[in-house]
Amino acid sequence: MNLSKPDILTLSPSSSPSKRNKPIQTSISLGEKAAQLPLDALPVKMAAVDLSVYYGKFRALNKISINIPENRITALIGPSGCGKSTLLRSFNRMNDLVKGSHITGQVLLNGKNIYGLDVDVVDIRQRVGMVFQRPNPFPMNIYDNVAYGPRLYGIRNKNVLDEIVEQSLRQAAVWKDLKDKLEQSALALSGGQQQRLCIARALAVEPAVILMDEPASALDPIATLMIEDLMEELKENYTIVIVTHNMQQAARVSDFTAFLMIDEDRSGTLVEMDATDQIFTNPKCQQTEDYVTGRFG
Amino acid sequence: MPRQTLDREIHHLQDEVLLLGSMVEQAMLNAIDALKRRDFSAARKVYRDDDVINEKRYAIENRVLILFATQQPIAHDLRFLAAILEVITELERMGDYAKGIAKINILIGEDDTVIPIHEITRMGDLAVGMLHRALSAFINEDVNMAYRIPQEDDLVDELFKQILHKNVTNMIENPGIIDHSNYVMWIVHNIERMADRVTNICERTIFIATGELLEIDVSDDEWLEEDEF
Repeated sequence: MNLSKPDILTLSPSSSPSKRNKPIQTSISLGEKAAQLPLDALPVKMAAVDLSVYYGKFRALNKISINIPENRITALIGPSGCGKSTLLRSFNRMNDLVKGSHITGQVLLNGKNIYGLDVDVVDIRQRVGMVFQRPNPFPMNIYDNVAYGPRLYGIRNKNVLDEIVEQSLRQAAVWKDLKDKLEQSALALSGGQQQRLCIARALAVEPAVILMDEPASALDPIATLMIEDLMEELKENYTIVIVTHNMQQAARVSDFTAFLMIDEDRSGTLVEMDATDQIFTNPKCQQTEDYVTGRFG
Repeated sequence: MPRQTLDREIHHLQDEVLLLGSMVEQAMLNAIDALKRRDFSAARKVYRDDDVINEKRYAIENRVLILFATQQPIAHDLRFLAAILEVITELERMGDYAKGIAKINILIGEDDTVIPIHEITRMGDLAVGMLHRALSAFINEDVNMAYRIPQEDDLVDELFKQILHKNVTNMIENPGIIDHSNYVMWIVHNIERMADRVTNICERTIFIATGELLEIDVSDDEWLEEDEF
């Protein structure tokens, strides 16, 4: 039927260009996500303000200012040496452990500077937990791994500890797998289970923020996707910051993405932070575009 | 089961495509109903509401592109999302056909024009019914149904031909009505094209289920046979 039609009939009256007085009737910008509130509309859980981090004379981070929104997943991406792990570690003062390190600027948790003179570092690390690249369960049984933190903070009651262990393992989506072998050594678990155990261990001290440094890079693809789904569930109750070399992972799991680069002094600087949908479909900066499309360098 | 985010988004997009489809079906039915009742106010509403259809289409397209960029869909997920981009384009165009009919209704105005409204209504019902079932087949990935629905286009084409012939006869007999007869041709052409585009949706259903990109050809090609090459 198509071929037998006169040409004039293929012209829909609604699309006649000469009659069109509103050339653009509907527009939507790529990357806009109605369901995602803009960054500045969200409550800020943590923030870096003009943060520079030095290792001796070397300045690893140069005046970073960044807001970490509450109950969202923020991914830090960038090339090796851009300082994303340094930035992550500054969020719970892990850099203090590096000899010769110091900072200028501030890191705020609920608006309070965690580098202030009156601040207890142990308290900060309880409120801002960390999960590392390689699963690092302690050489003890599963139960004791999870109960380790709460015991450190003085909880001795067996019933309370039982409850914390179960609750933490449930939140880490690993209770069903491990509930019948709590007395077994954590070192006997698979890599994926070990990492979820480590997440449970971090949750056991009821942190507000969880920092994840390449949490899935040592895991197989299925275990990786399970950790990612777990993160999605955890963000209801926690604020998560993740450093990852895997850009696809940042794209999959995060709500917001911050892109860091190395400046001419070899210090890490923040190029752009935006909704992840925006960063991966229509970033504002050319450097970000070059990096996420693999045309960097 | 991993990939909860992607699965949730895909289910959401299925709902959104069905919603867009029902908006287009309603627009076509309303446009024809307004024509039947010569209700210009209703026609204006159909014309204006096309913007809502366009917005919905762009919103879906935006979500699909974001999923391509952020979720790395593969295999069936990839085929489904790629197919959605085609299907929403077809739906949006069908919305334009309804808008076109609403516009013609207003252009004809109060003039005394013979509109074969019975046949037009029948054509519209057939095309909308085809679309409705095609979208159902699309969501359910019902390949058999996707192959069957395009066959129904013959009925729409038959009505189209009937109105066309009658219209041409009327014009020859009374050249004074050529402008208005032309409007009638536009109306039936729009409905006929809508039914044609349903076939494209069915082709995408087959693509999702089988991975095969194909063209379902149910056109009457007798004219081709008569040619001597």
